[in-house]
Amino acid sequence: MRRIFHAVLVSLCLLGNCSLLYAADGEVDFLDDAFYEEAPEENAVRDPFEGINRVVFTFNDYAFVWVLNPLANGYSKLLPSDIRGAIANVFYNLQEPMRFINSLLQVRFSDAGTLLTRFTVNTIGGVGGLGDPASELGFEKTEATFCQTLDNWGVPDGIFLMVPVMGPTTLRDISGRVVDRFSLSPIYYNWAAGWEESVGIYMGKEVNNLSLHLGEYEAMKKMSFDPYIAVRDGFYQLRRQRWQNSMSSSDAVVEPLE
Amino acid sequence: MQIFRRVLVVLLFLTLLPLTQQVSAATPDPTEQLKPVVDKVVSLLKDAEFRKKPVVEQSDVIVKIVAERFDFREMSKRVMGKQWRTLNPEQKDQFVALFTKLLQYVYINQVDGYLDKKIEFTDQRIRRDRAEVKTLLVGADKRIPVSYIMLLEKDNWMAYDIVVEGVSLIRNYMEQISTVLRDEKFPGLIKMLENKITKLEAGEKEE
Repeated sequence: MRRIFHAVLVSLCLLGNCSLLYAADGEVDFLDDAFYEEAPEENAVRDPFEGINRVVFTFNDYAFVWVLNPLANGYSKLLPSDIRGAIANVFYNLQEPMRFINSLLQVRFSDAGTLLTRFTVNTIGGVGGLGDPASELGFEKTEATFCQTLDNWGVPDGIFLMVPVMGPTTLRDISGRVVDRFSLSPIYYNWAAGWEESVGIYMGKEVNNLSLHLGEYEAMKKMSFDPYIAVRDGFYQLRRQRWQNSMSSSDAVVEPLE
Repeated sequence: MQIFRRVLVVLLFLTLLPLTQQVSAATPDPTEQLKPVVDKVVSLLKDAEFRKKPVVEQSDVIVKIVAERFDFREMSKRVMGKQWRTLNPEQKDQFVALFTKLLQYVYINQVDGYLDKKIEFTDQRIRRDRAEVKTLLVGADKRIPVSYIMLLEKDNWMAYDIVVEGVSLIRNYMEQISTVLRDEKFPGLIKMLENKITKLEAGEKEE
């Protein structure tokens, strides 16, 4: 295991040591023209494997249209949305200890407190995380992933990758995700009786999540003339926005005064 | 000393009061200006009679309403980025016309998404001549934040970007356009836009 980590870290340093695009750093302010003036060519996304990525993207598109989407559609008809929401809550709650550790690694102590409270309240009061009573008590959801931790520690983003089934990511983010999934939330991967079961649980989780976001991908595809680029840019924009939101709740970021 | 201070406060108050009033009177309220237009479009789209009309006709009606509060030229300029300056006036007009059309169809294509949802105007912020009007699309099982980014042109707030769940539409198109421009230059871009528009027109008719 240690060797794998070592390899990942070395490859991160080798491949990842390049200029970032408009990555997670820098505030997004839509009232600021700078956001629109970051010319895409200048901060070009590091996408040396664009050719391969496009092939994977086409594969994912087929997989989505012919397998994943029909599955999620049928599933969404079987179960009402509040039950699907509760299932999503359980999966979310299982990741909460990992978020707690990551928030500590990112020196976000008040968020760490919130996350610990959320996990305790939702596991006990929300019956294993089916409900989210903690939010109602004012302990709002906060994101803290190992990808953010790596970013915090100065590990660069590296290249853009399109991963089969999983979708868009970067070299750093996929390493972060692997760490989050396998070392910090072992509950439903390591307790499964074999890889088939793990895959089953993973697919269940993804289909359940997708059933709550039906139609979003199609809408996006319909309105763009290069869906691959649209997805790539959407991924970076969404991530920057999410990280900014999760950071602004901590003491690290001070709202700039006008 | 205390009296002096009190007089000073009163004086300050008196001189500042008209100033603040002047500012608020001079700047129109972006939400107040945008809301009627958005409401009108949504109520039209919810109208079954209207939706029976051909897509091209629908979009003509809608673009007239929307053009009151959306600055399509500003959108086209931003989406082109630095390339805008390299275009001649005819090319600019050609691009604006096509891009406006594309945005229209994008807007109408969202119809299904709006049908079962309610739009709430939640917040706004103004900085100099820019404003962000925040809305929330409230559906049965999800809430999608949609922001309109606006520019003050004389007495009118005009939208030049729509931000859905933190993703800027203009920024997203900008990235796509710069790739097409890099590989296929301006004629390629125009052809691509035309293809997309024909597809959207045809695709809708089939339904």
